[in-house]
Amino acid sequence: MSRFFNSQILILIGCSLFVFYLAGVPLVMLLYGSVRSAPIGEPGATYTIQNYIKAYFDREFYLLFWNSLKFAVGNCIVSFLIGTYLAWISERTNTPFKKLFLVMALIPFIIPGILSTIAWILLLSPKIGLINLVVKGLLRLEAAPFNVYSMGGMIWAEAIHLYPLVFLLMSAAFRNMDTSLEEASLSAGSSTFVTFRRITLPLMRPAMFSVLLIMFVRGMEAFEVPALIGVPAKISVFTTKIFLAIHQFPSDFGLAGSYAVTLLAISTTGVLIYGRITRREERYATVTGKGYRPRVIDLGPWKYLTCASAFVIFALAVVFPVFILLWSSFIPYYGVPSAELVGKMTIANYTYIMNYPLALTAFKNSFYLSVGSATLVMLLTSVIAWITVKSKLPGRVFLDNVTFIPIAMPGIVLGVSLIWVYLTLPIPIYGTIWVLLLAYITKFMPYGIRAASASMIQINKELEEASLASGGTWFQTFWKVILPLLMPGFVAGWIYVSIISLRELSTSILLYSYNSTVLSIMAFDLWEGGQYTYVCALGVLMVLLLVAMAFVARKLGARIGIAE
Amino acid sequence: MAEKRFMVQIEFLEKYFGEDKDRVHVLKGISLDIPEGSLYTFLGPSGCGKTTTLRCVAGLERPEGGKISIDGRPVFASGERVYIPTNKRPIGMVFQSYAIWPHMTVFENVAYPLTIQRRPRRSKSEIRQKVEEVLKVVGLHGLEDRPAPKLSGGQQQRVAFARALVNEPKVMLLDEPLSNLDAKLREQMRFEIKALQRRVNITTIYVTHDQAEALAISDQIAVMHAGKLIEVGTAHQLYSRPKRKFTATFLGLTNLIEGKVVELGGDSRPGQMETKKGIFSFVPATGLTKGETAVLSIRPEHIQVHKQQPQGLENVVEGTVKEAVFMGDAYHCQIAVGDLLLRVHTHPFLSMSPGEKVYLHLDPQSCNGLPAEDVEGMDESMLGA
Repeated sequence: MSRFFNSQILILIGCSLFVFYLAGVPLVMLLYGSVRSAPIGEPGATYTIQNYIKAYFDREFYLLFWNSLKFAVGNCIVSFLIGTYLAWISERTNTPFKKLFLVMALIPFIIPGILSTIAWILLLSPKIGLINLVVKGLLRLEAAPFNVYSMGGMIWAEAIHLYPLVFLLMSAAFRNMDTSLEEASLSAGSSTFVTFRRITLPLMRPAMFSVLLIMFVRGMEAFEVPALIGVPAKISVFTTKIFLAIHQFPSDFGLAGSYAVTLLAISTTGVLIYGRITRREERYATVTGKGYRPRVIDLGPWKYLTCASAFVIFALAVVFPVFILLWSSFIPYYGVPSAELVGKMTIANYTYIMNYPLALTAFKNSFYLSVGSATLVMLLTSVIAWITVKSKLPGRVFLDNVTFIPIAMPGIVLGVSLIWVYLTLPIPIYGTIWVLLLAYITKFMPYGIRAASASMIQINKELEEASLASGGTWFQTFWKVILPLLMPGFVAGWIYVSIISLRELSTSILLYSYNSTVLSIMAFDLWEGGQYTYVCALGVLMVLLLVAMAFVARKLGARIGIAE
Repeated sequence: MAEKRFMVQIEFLEKYFGEDKDRVHVLKGISLDIPEGSLYTFLGPSGCGKTTTLRCVAGLERPEGGKISIDGRPVFASGERVYIPTNKRPIGMVFQSYAIWPHMTVFENVAYPLTIQRRPRRSKSEIRQKVEEVLKVVGLHGLEDRPAPKLSGGQQQRVAFARALVNEPKVMLLDEPLSNLDAKLREQMRFEIKALQRRVNITTIYVTHDQAEALAISDQIAVMHAGKLIEVGTAHQLYSRPKRKFTATFLGLTNLIEGKVVELGGDSRPGQMETKKGIFSFVPATGLTKGETAVLSIRPEHIQVHKQQPQGLENVVEGTVKEAVFMGDAYHCQIAVGDLLLRVHTHPFLSMSPGEKVYLHLDPQSCNGLPAEDVEGMDESMLGA
């Protein structure tokens, strides 16, 4: 009896404590650090609210707030309009090729934010932007029609990168709606328009509001676009301000801390409201099993227009950015496509990257971190999902909530918090790859638990009990029965976490050191150094690595788990 | 049998579900002794606590009070704080959904209880041999390498049995094992389970809500209702001599006539009950007292229909045919005796038409006198089934 008891209890308690440590300690240290008069570790520090006074009584704070708000709301509106429009035409109209839209929507996920930002600078910069030059040439304009270095440019670059998320969420919302509710309204004698206004819209409202909130929080947390476009354009938002406060010399940890707490408060509010709207069950919503047959609207000849517009959006989101990255990666110096440059195309950028002193380290680090964090996140969250879904242990709801805390923590805020944690605690991992690993596990835990819980719910309790009744211990049952049955969700979560790990920038940038450089940091540094063509070559290699990893994971998962 | 040995003993089992305000008392002091080698059925309507009792024996539920012993060894005792976890109990279990692991082959499923065993650790050849043996017993020989999702419902069930039996447990627990099969297969499997149980001679607890299944398969049946044990007996005893009103109504069809015991009878003399339809001779259940209000229970097939008034017979009443439905092997009739409606099954050759006047003979040997109130809070709708 004791043997059984011990191994189970040890694993469960161990995993729970680890989750509390990962999610709770950074939060506590951030709050603590923001009320200290000197950086942690320095003697003579006292408690103070000076950091907050300094932050809030500065005119710049309100400018920051205003900029962040404009950027987040702008991103929210633009990405929502594009994503919802595409979702509507693909789910509820007879637009041709609509099956293709889903595949098209997934492609942008594989392009790291930093690359998409760089691509849009290369497309819309007033001096070198390809689109600007082409439009200027065609319309014989005096000046460049677009300027990416503006609030509008920032919003566009962010929204065109994030809209696929809106598309997926809104497609699901359209799909899960019971169309007989609309049909009941039509049969009651109301017109299509009245039905839309009185029935469809109110039914969609919770879904729409929650999607808007997610996009708002994403905009608040965004780092790549504000750092690469906002900083040169002198448009500061919270994330870049925190970054600069730490990267200036000497670092102002106190100020960074108070800004970080403010940003955290904003995003937490958003996440909490979101949580209220979407009930707990829906957080795990995968397939409701109710296959409603969607009522498809016949658009008549308009369907060619909607189809064309979808392809235009696809071109903007994928074809243009990918083209400019590929093009730039094969030319010796940056320039607009021309016959002359085509003749000079070369793979020199790739050989340069391969021979770049840090490149091998960065590739290795990124690869290990991505595989390591994805594997550990999924193993950890599988155990947590078992506790929260299958067990009747006290405190399981609390544990579930704690696992979700990091979703409200913007990457840059997590970075600030972890600096404090590992400069204070006697755990000598600061500046090593291990601190990055812990950061990634913390940050991506919520995505892992979502995938693991959704799968865990679908495992019949009796499959587990049959193992116990066969004499299996808890550990044997978990390892031989639950984990294999969890494989589809495990693999899906693993692929997602490994992809977002590989492109992570906003947390890493505060925590890396020379030896723990990762690919996204290397791309950032090359860009800051003005080496555009090299960045693009590196970017293409990153995307190839991501595609290869997703492919291998799918193959492996299909072999281990149940054939889907 | 000189001395009956009990394989499973349950004493005063108490179990609650839920917490605080929503606490529900699901097992109210269940006590049972299950003889070695028998097929013992827990029978009752859904929510009666039969599955919960089984799961307590398996260790999948932890009771709040009482004691459970398997083979003389306590596996749960609330007083002594004994609780042996499921995986250390000498049991094999077949689940309602069969719980065949879809990521394993037939062989891997059945071998699982052996492969995970640490002491004694078994060799590969020993495992293979045992699995082959047990697959032969359940009639699945040659399907070892078939992936589990490619099995039919009946095959999955056989795999579940093989897996439950392979490690030679002391008790086999079956949780409604036939409820997921179609009607034809269900009848066939009843006989197979019975035959299998006899062949292996293993003590088996069988949970079902299907009374026909229980009658067909069991050595002994424990009738349960609302967390309480109502009555234990063989199929024959429970059907023809129920001691409780609930048993009489839950097992098969019966007619109930309310009355009052005027004479208890004794030895070979029948008792006498006074009802609104006259005085009836009956066989009293143990514990019934003189003067007590009681019910008289008689099965539809034990009422004989006469077209003319029979002479020299007790328990005869006059009635009018309300409905007569031909069922092939019998006529199922509803016959009104005043305001009382009796169900009667008659021989198919005795044709009857609605409105006809008939005489009914209620065979005194088949009239059971039962206590009128035996289950508190009994739901009348449940009795009609």
